[in-house]
Amino acid sequence: MVYIIEAILLLGLIAIALTIIFGRDLMVAVVIYCAFSFITMFLYIIMGAPDVAFTEAVIGVISTVFFIIILRSIRRNIK
Amino acid sequence: MRKALTVILLVIVLTVPFVFFDILPVIGDPDSAPNSHVSDYYIEHAVEECNSPNMVTAVIVDYRAFDTMFETTVMFLAGIAVMLILAEHPKRKLMVPTRVRRLNVHEGSPVYRTVNKDVMVSVIQVLILIYAMYVLFHGEVSLGGGFQAGALIGMTYLLDVMVCRREQPLFRTTKYKAGAIAGLGPLLYAVTGMIPFIGGGLYLQYGKMPFAIHEAELHSIGITSVEIGVTIGVAATIITIINALTERIVFDDEI
Amino acid sequence: MTAISVFLASKGIYLLTFILLSLGVAGMIVCNNYLKKLICMNIMQVAVIFFFLCLGQKSGGTIPVALDGALKASEYINPLPHGLMLTAIVVSLGTTGVGLSLLLRIREKYGSVEEDDIIRRERKV
Repeated sequence: MVYIIEAILLLGLIAIALTIIFGRDLMVAVVIYCAFSFITMFLYIIMGAPDVAFTEAVIGVISTVFFIIILRSIRRNIK
Repeated sequence: MRKALTVILLVIVLTVPFVFFDILPVIGDPDSAPNSHVSDYYIEHAVEECNSPNMVTAVIVDYRAFDTMFETTVMFLAGIAVMLILAEHPKRKLMVPTRVRRLNVHEGSPVYRTVNKDVMVSVIQVLILIYAMYVLFHGEVSLGGGFQAGALIGMTYLLDVMVCRREQPLFRTTKYKAGAIAGLGPLLYAVTGMIPFIGGGLYLQYGKMPFAIHEAELHSIGITSVEIGVTIGVAATIITIINALTERIVFDDEI
Repeated sequence: MTAISVFLASKGIYLLTFILLSLGVAGMIVCNNYLKKLICMNIMQVAVIFFFLCLGQKSGGTIPVALDGALKASEYINPLPHGLMLTAIVVSLGTTGVGLSLLLRIREKYGSVEEDDIIRRERKV
């Protein structure tokens, strides 16, 4: 049963990765990356690694804010 | 060219696991190779040898402490690299897009009528700092440790930068001071590792520290001081990167 | 249900992980924007971390925090990959910061972060 939940979450991660690669708006990509890191955190908790999940939660938020800070200075839309 | 390269790479990456499926162990098998040799020793001896019920902390800062010391040094070097890359001031301000520059000055900062945001943020910051201290000093008994506490302290600073205006900061340093503080973390780690030399031990062998208490307590003292060093290194590195990045950017409410 | 679980435990999870890794690598090659390349680098790293944690999983084990009196190796999940990957996640923040600062310098020098624009300007000069 655990493996089925893991497989479903991994499929969600793959869908998010496809959205990031083929999307046109950079802000959407960055915000979806935040959702990516939270799904990853859920996956780590299911696998029995709460230490790693804790670290991933904090680091995911901080790196998302880094990306948004940089996004102020570059063009948002991709031609 | 680029697409052909991608197709070749995808074909290779997707066929390699089919070849190696027999070598990879079944997930959840207790007798597989990664689960059998040294990790059994770590699980069965972590509590009595290191006095730390959280086995992940025991592995990180006691059994493999030499590894973690250089990981902290890598983090410090990343902070120094960001500081040096962004050290020179830009010649002209090209950060602001033109459509933002036309906006009114007060439009970017909404006035909160019900709650003063400085008071709100200072309350939340104190709560996060208390939680970070709990995670740091309780990390060997339950979940947590030095890395998480450092990242939480960095998040407190991030709240300060993002919410408060630059004229009235609650606490604010420059990137050079933060980079200097980040060097103190690996230094504290290395000095803690040298203390067992006095008692005739090896580097980072906490049980040979020259204090007249029980050996398990010595391990607790060593683990705690090492984790304080890791916390200082990680938190100051995050503060350095935040300072170096936000100095180059002009936000809406500061034009 | 049991057949699906057995298939996933032996092959399926590894296959999905490799697909995620290859998506990260393909994104780093295909994407034209440097910020997207950095995000794809983080995706690739998540796949590697997930692969390491798969190797340490044990069916019937709890999280690696010791309970009173129970110290058998088969009752706890392997703590060694957790320790290795925890430091890797924190170091990934440092590499992301270095990459973003290099991206800011590229923006100041060339005025753009698209790879096509930069290659065109380099050829013209």
